[in-house]
This record gives sequence, structure tokens and C-alpha cells, in this order.
Amino acid sequence: MENNNIEIKENSFWLADWGFPIIVGLMGAAVFAGTHMYIVHGVGAFNEVSIVAMLKAGLDGGSYGAAAAFGASFLFARILEGSLVGILDIGGSILTGVGIGIPAILLSLNITQPTDNFALALLVGALCGLAIGGIIIFIRKLTINQSSSTFGADIMMGAGNASGRFLGPLIVLSACAASIPVGIGSLIGALIFYAWKKPIAGGAIIGAMIFGAFFPIVASV
Amino acid sequence: MLIILLKSVIIGGLLGFSAGVGAARMYHAPKSQGLGAFRTLGEMNACEGDAAAHFSFGLGFFFNAWASVVGAGAFTQDIEHRIIPNWAAAALLIKNKNVEETIHNPKKMGIVSAIIGAVVVAFLNTTAAAIPESLQVVAVSVLVPAATILINTVMPVLFWLAAIDAGKRSGFWATLFGGLAQLVMGNAVPGVVLGILIGKGVDESGWNRITKSILVAIILLFIFSGFFRGFDISLIESFKLEVPNWLDSLHNVFTIE
Repeated sequence: MENNNIEIKENSFWLADWGFPIIVGLMGAAVFAGTHMYIVHGVGAFNEVSIVAMLKAGLDGGSYGAAAAFGASFLFARILEGSLVGILDIGGSILTGVGIGIPAILLSLNITQPTDNFALALLVGALCGLAIGGIIIFIRKLTINQSSSTFGADIMMGAGNASGRFLGPLIVLSACAASIPVGIGSLIGALIFYAWKKPIAGGAIIGAMIFGAFFPIVASV
Repeated sequence: MLIILLKSVIIGGLLGFSAGVGAARMYHAPKSQGLGAFRTLGEMNACEGDAAAHFSFGLGFFFNAWASVVGAGAFTQDIEHRIIPNWAAAALLIKNKNVEETIHNPKKMGIVSAIIGAVVVAFLNTTAAAIPESLQVVAVSVLVPAATILINTVMPVLFWLAAIDAGKRSGFWATLFGGLAQLVMGNAVPGVVLGILIGKGVDESGWNRITKSILVAIILLFIFSGFFRGFDISLIESFKLEVPNWLDSLHNVFTIE
């Protein structure tokens, strides 16, 4: 890591459209291989337990239908949305689409090699990611890039920043709902961070954790 | 064990690199195509360029992911959405407080995230030892409700109000698509964003080929996501009507047995 700041060029791999499919390809490779890890070693699927459970239902001899339909539809929706709004949602497209939907479709067709073999898993995942990234850039070329309009990006960024400010107070609120000691802890943490002129979210979490370690919450899940 | 470790390092490195570059590119959207999520962007902005806030935010979800992988073998989506981007941001901010030169720089974020990703994934996959139960419960009971309110209530409302303030056209389309997205997808934010997109697009360049094709794409998006989520069936049933046979058989075509 060099300390002098090098300006990233707009047309370089890091920011240009042509770099995007490569980045998505790398992520697809990792996530698909994560599903391979889960199937072979029992750990390492990159998704929520509830969604992985759909794939597991198929692995345990049931139907892959739910996982396949859920993953594929999510993937489709996110590709359209991602190319229009400028941010591809990795949760729906890569983690659920490439990580759950595509493996489920392959397995339902009795194609087990990609999920059984690590190298092949990386390759198949990379190809899926490349294809997804390529489609998105193609749609962008047809729509956004031909126009001088910013399509309200500044409004979206402003709203994103505004919603971020809510997190600190929300954490204190839910800590107070969790238990009295945890609430007091997060309040103290938030106050200290506020006095230090830092965002209160971090202090609220640390305070809640410290008090929660000494005064455990009775799990009611 | 060694095989798991090696594979995890490879997977984690690839994942971290792509997640880091994608997260940094989000700050350059829509000029540059980003990769991540609006909630990730919102949460990273919430930490306001403060290393401690970024680190502790990631840490809370790290415990959660750890518990999940020990318990069920699944990482939760937070590894990519929250832990890697925020820890990479924290690591970079320790050296340099300027967010433009750190978090917004895809190259730096990619390299640091690759290292963090490799370490985190290898660590989580190889430690089957459980974390203190109490901390895990605290993390879940504090962060999950807060994040849920943020994503399900605060973000839709703020985006919606921003769209209404941005002018009559954005307000109209954002209200229409936001409401529809809440019905069909369960969250209004994507719909409101699409409403701003079409409203501002028409404000700035009129109804031309581009804005028309975006509108068609948005309508297709709603039709397809509604169909694949089974919204059409639920809609007909909730109005106490019969589901036509052709629609049922169409759904059955897409259900892979």
C-alpha cells in the first residue's frame, strides 16, 4: 500500500464499464465455490440460513423447485434493476441467484460435477458472473450511457445519506428494548462517542456488547 | 482441515476483492456500475468515515455470522454486505481520514478487502468452536431490529420524501412504483429509486427513446418479479376470485421438479 494517493482513471479497470463483468465474475466464482464447500464440507454457503435451507431440502432428497425458482427470479429482477439504478444488488443476484438458484437448477437436472469439484465450481461461477455483468453493461449501453441526464442520482445519494443517520438512534432504541443493562450500556457508549464527535452507532454497539457480556440477555427466540 | 483452509483462503480472497471494488464503485454510481446494495451504502454512510464506527458495526454482524456458520454452515449475507466492506473501510481510515482517497478508491478497497475476506472466511470456516452465547444474543437482539427498521421503514420513507421534494414528476412515479414495489417485492426502496430515475430522466431529457425503454424495462421488471414471486396468484386469491387454469399451468411450467 503506497501512501501517496494515485488518482484512479475513469477508463481504467477499476471504474470503467469493461471492468464490471470481471469483478462480478470473480464474485460469482467465490460464491459458487462457497456453495460447493457447503455441499462437500457442510460449511461455507454465503447466504441466510433460511435460503440455504431451500437448497438443503433438495440435497436431502426433496425438490429443488423452491430454490431454483426463488434464486432464478431474484437474479432476473436484480439484473434489470441493477442496470437501471447503477448498483447491482449482490444479495439477490450473486448470493441467491448464482449461489443458490443456479446450483439448484443444475442439481435438479442431475448435473453434479460443478458443485462437487472445486476448480469446476470456480470456473462455472466465474462464467455465470461474467455473463451477468456483461448483460448489465449491455443494458446500460442501451439506456443510461446514451443520455446526458444523471437520472436523479444526487437525490438517491442524498436520501441514502439521510437514512444512514438514523442508524445510531435506532441501535440505542432496540438496545433499550432488548434489556435494561444493554440499553444503559448502549446509551453510555453513544454518549461517549457523541462527546468525542464520532458517529454514535459505533459507541452504542460497543456499549451494548460490553454490558451484554456481564448481564446476559435471556434468549427468547 | 487443510483442504478447507486452502479453499477458504481462495474463496475469501476472490470474494473480498470483488466486494471491496464493488463497494467503492457504488460511490461513483450511476456513472460507474457499482456492486453491493443500497443498504450497504446507507450503512457505510452512517459510519461517517469513522474507523471505530465501521469496525464495531462489522463486528456486531461478525458474531452473528460466526454463530450462523457454526450452527448451520451458512454465513448469512452480512459477510459481503456488512463485514468485509466496513472492516476494509476501517482499516483504510486508520491510515488516512479522507474518505475520497480511501473508501471511494476501488483499488485500495479491493486490495484491503481481499486480505480481510481471505482471513474472515478462513477463520469462520475453520473455527467450529462456539462464541460466547451471551454476546451472540446481544448482537442479534440489538442489531437485527435496528437494521430491520432502517431497511423496512426508514429507507423507504426517506427515499419517498426525497422523491416528492424533487418535483412533481419524480414524486408521482416514485409514489406509484414505490407502492407497487412494496406490494410485489416487500420493500418500496427499489420502486422509489426507479420512480426517481424515470421522473428525473423525463424532467431532464423528455420522453425520448431512452426514457421510454427504461419505462418498458421497469414495467417488465414488475411483471416478471410479480409472476415469479407468485404475486399474481396471491392477488387474485385475495380478491376472492378463481385463479384461471391457464395461469396455474403457466406457473407449473416454471416450477422445476
